[in-house]
Amino acid sequence: MLDFDFHDIEPMTMPKILILTLLIVAFTNPVMAQSVDAAAQTVKIALAQEPPQLNNMTATDQVSIFVLGHVMEGLTRYDRRGNLAPGVAERWELTETSATFWLRKDAKWSNGDPVTAHDFVFAWRNVVDPKTASQYAFILYPVENAEAINQGNKPLTDLGIQAIDDFTLKVTLERPTGYFLKLTAFVTTFPVQEKFYRATGSAYAADSKDILYNGAFRISDWVHSASLKMEKNPNYWNSKAISLEVIDAEYITADTRARLNLFIDEKIAYTQLDGETYKDALNNQFRIKKFVTGSVYFLEYNYRPERITHNKKLRQAIQAVFDPDEFVNKVLQTPGNLPGASLFPSWIMGVNKPFRQEYPAVVTRPDLAKAKQLLREAKAELGLEDIPPLILLVSDSPTATKQAEYMQGMLKTKLDLDLKIDVQTFKQRLAKMTTGDFDIVGAGWGPDFDDIMTFGDLFASWNLNNRGRYNNPEYDRLVRRAMNSNDPEVRMAAMAGLQTIVHEDAIILPMYEQGVIYLQHPKIKGMRRTVVGSDPDFTYARIVP
Amino acid sequence: MIPHPELQAADFTPEPSTDSLEQLSRPSLSYWQDAWIRLKQNTRAIISLYLIIGLAFFTVLGPFLWTKDPSAQDLDQISQAPALPKTALLVSDYEPWTPPNVQGHPAEPAGYPDNLDAVTNFATVGTPNTQSVRFTWSPVQDAGGYSIYRSESKPNGLQGLGLPLETLTAGNIVGFEDRLNLKSQTYFYSIIPTDGLDEFEVVTTLKVTPVQSITVSQALERGLIEASDAPGRSVSLAFHPFGTDYLGRDMLARLMQGARVSLFIGVVAPFIYVLFGVFYGGFAGYLGGKVDQFLMRFADFVVALPFLLFMILFKIGFGIGPGESGVLPMLVALILLLWPSTARLVRGQVLKIREQGYIEAARLLGGKPSYLIARHIIPNTMGVILVTLTFAVPSAIFTEAFLSFIGMGVAPPTPSWGSMCNEGVKTMLSHPHELFFPALFISITVLAFNLLGDGLTEALDSKMRSRE
Repeated sequence: MLDFDFHDIEPMTMPKILILTLLIVAFTNPVMAQSVDAAAQTVKIALAQEPPQLNNMTATDQVSIFVLGHVMEGLTRYDRRGNLAPGVAERWELTETSATFWLRKDAKWSNGDPVTAHDFVFAWRNVVDPKTASQYAFILYPVENAEAINQGNKPLTDLGIQAIDDFTLKVTLERPTGYFLKLTAFVTTFPVQEKFYRATGSAYAADSKDILYNGAFRISDWVHSASLKMEKNPNYWNSKAISLEVIDAEYITADTRARLNLFIDEKIAYTQLDGETYKDALNNQFRIKKFVTGSVYFLEYNYRPERITHNKKLRQAIQAVFDPDEFVNKVLQTPGNLPGASLFPSWIMGVNKPFRQEYPAVVTRPDLAKAKQLLREAKAELGLEDIPPLILLVSDSPTATKQAEYMQGMLKTKLDLDLKIDVQTFKQRLAKMTTGDFDIVGAGWGPDFDDIMTFGDLFASWNLNNRGRYNNPEYDRLVRRAMNSNDPEVRMAAMAGLQTIVHEDAIILPMYEQGVIYLQHPKIKGMRRTVVGSDPDFTYARIVP
Repeated sequence: MIPHPELQAADFTPEPSTDSLEQLSRPSLSYWQDAWIRLKQNTRAIISLYLIIGLAFFTVLGPFLWTKDPSAQDLDQISQAPALPKTALLVSDYEPWTPPNVQGHPAEPAGYPDNLDAVTNFATVGTPNTQSVRFTWSPVQDAGGYSIYRSESKPNGLQGLGLPLETLTAGNIVGFEDRLNLKSQTYFYSIIPTDGLDEFEVVTTLKVTPVQSITVSQALERGLIEASDAPGRSVSLAFHPFGTDYLGRDMLARLMQGARVSLFIGVVAPFIYVLFGVFYGGFAGYLGGKVDQFLMRFADFVVALPFLLFMILFKIGFGIGPGESGVLPMLVALILLLWPSTARLVRGQVLKIREQGYIEAARLLGGKPSYLIARHIIPNTMGVILVTLTFAVPSAIFTEAFLSFIGMGVAPPTPSWGSMCNEGVKTMLSHPHELFFPALFISITVLAFNLLGDGLTEALDSKMRSRE
């Protein structure tokens, strides 16, 4: 996912804003439309926007991913507690070089046909086909030859996926990929029936009747730009585990204020809050919930040799005075954010437990004396009397200046360092980051898939998102080791080494893990917020009386 | 027949000249004295004049009297409303706290419980202060976690619990620390047990009033205590009569510093461009003919140039880098683009005056052009010029405020009234003083200059001269 910028609760990152702005409506009473109805197990949802692309092979935005996550299912899926669970595949076997999936025979498409291994072969070939131009094709790069095919260097048939029979799927891997199973729960890897796809032609997924569903729900009614209704899919193999009968997006609006009003009127049962609306929600006595979005925000330095910030002592001096705890509590001021401590957010899983529990990040309290000493050493190394003003590049989001001003004031008071704040639009900031026109940049990273590697390879020398051109052979070596291993122990140990480098080399200055707050009707139970994939997940939700 | 009086030679001698005949019954008043008398009778204008003098003192002498650093951040008093000085308890530096973990209590329930008991023994640990408020409670059977809320008003059962502070996802962690923007006021903390996902309908609420506190290192950094002072004593916090902004910076000091930018632009730019406009317009008007035509068409051309676009172009042209102040290009843009209105007014005035009879008379009596201009033309246009100037000042202040509001003006941390409004408007509902004060200063300044301008218009109008 693209880099983000400093934010507090109000602004979601651009891709996320789409997903997190869904609303739910249900009936509590068969006559009057109200927000929840336990008897009919009906939930109406309102979307932030019309799903732009319900073809799972090319969908990238969060609203489409939200809908697809409910109406389709991949080889694996997430269960009620967010653990990876069997989906279309009943069981599987993952080795260093391949993955074999045994598909359940009762998984059916909404037209009654069984979901077969061929449907996956067809879909995956289509995803990596350069003609499809899927932005998420890289999700399948761990599959043999996927990257070469996607770049047009090999024929489609070379893709390392084959249907041994109707219900056995064999995937050959390009390299050992420990997180491969998690990719099979992502919408890009969902199956598509070739026969149906060919029959609909270019109209595939253009309307509710132009998609085949194999998920817990199916789209029963879709009035474009007005409403979208999902009903329980009777053909779903596990339909008896699904409580909800209807998820009805009766409204499509991106206006958070309008959605809060709908919530107040009990027309919807879920809405995301932002800095504008949360005070109103408080005044209305609603119970506000919070959720960590999974994105990590940090200051990234420029390592190009002509920049002063390539000096490690200078970066360490800044690290030694910055207090993420104070930053989150006093400057951001909104609940839900966690103080930054590492490149890896606290929700990322390690071997058995969250990674940060297995390998706690080094948290140091600010130490002014040490920072001043480091700064003196930095000046001596650089041969400078005074450090010239550093340029802090930030986006023009509503709170970016505030956060940048805090850094400016803090560094001036404590270290007598001058910062110049360069406020640019999101696009312009990315352009300046790419050309290296900054000393420090307020950046962020959101996960693309549910594995530590989505953060881990960020500062590898070959990663194009490594805008500061950080280049450390030891870092690269650890990333390679983790990439080429299937053993979680080895991978996490490598990542722990990497976490240490990030801290000791002060590659970044972790600021916070982003949190958001939202309203949910108290009668909805089991609705799951997720960091990657379909969020919020209503699959196992139920309405209690 | 009426007898003619005998005329004598003496009758034809001139009357001896006496001063008393030429004596004026009232003191002679110059144009300016007269104008000043009439201005003095205009209460609004005089109040405005005093306000402007007061603002000048505020801007120039203020920073010497109120010596707080306008960019120093006082994070213990963020968004503080105007209030009397506060004292705080000196506490030792913050040390991270690990919430207690009950051994033997399961972190996750075995199944999905249908009911959970309310949390008991919900109490604070240590003295709650504005650095941190710590809680602990007894673990709840079958709980998979706890949700903690904080409200500024008393919750009504499950209604109005306030901000969600924390969602613990383990039933055996029975402690929590709140550090989120704590103020010295009453909070209602509520705790709800969960099964790890959903909250149950039972709540326990605790009322806590944290003590205003400051840590030793913060107090030392701000010079509030001596190095030998130990925690436990009371410290007077920095006094902020106008409150503080969103980073705890003193509003009064920022208003003074902001006034420098706002009034600098507001006074210097109009002064220069009005002066230029006077020369330009006077020249065109006096010479007349083709020169006048040419000069005035050029003025029309300048009027047509878009201000904002040129402002941006100047900013680039001046090589103003990121994070540097845009005040200089703003000044240049104002001067280069706003003079034509003055020039037009003055030209019209000059054209009219130069055809007047008294000018003709003066010229016939041998007055040279320099004499005509200095003695007759300029004094007669002075009213127009002064009025233009007083009305140009508020519009320049507004322009500065607007440009700083959209981020084209000053660079942080330097404030201007406009940029302070821009920041204040974000927290208008929760901390109105952050918007109110800069907006008030802009309003007062603009109003004062406008009323003074009105007063001057009346006072300097020569048709009103000597009217009582």
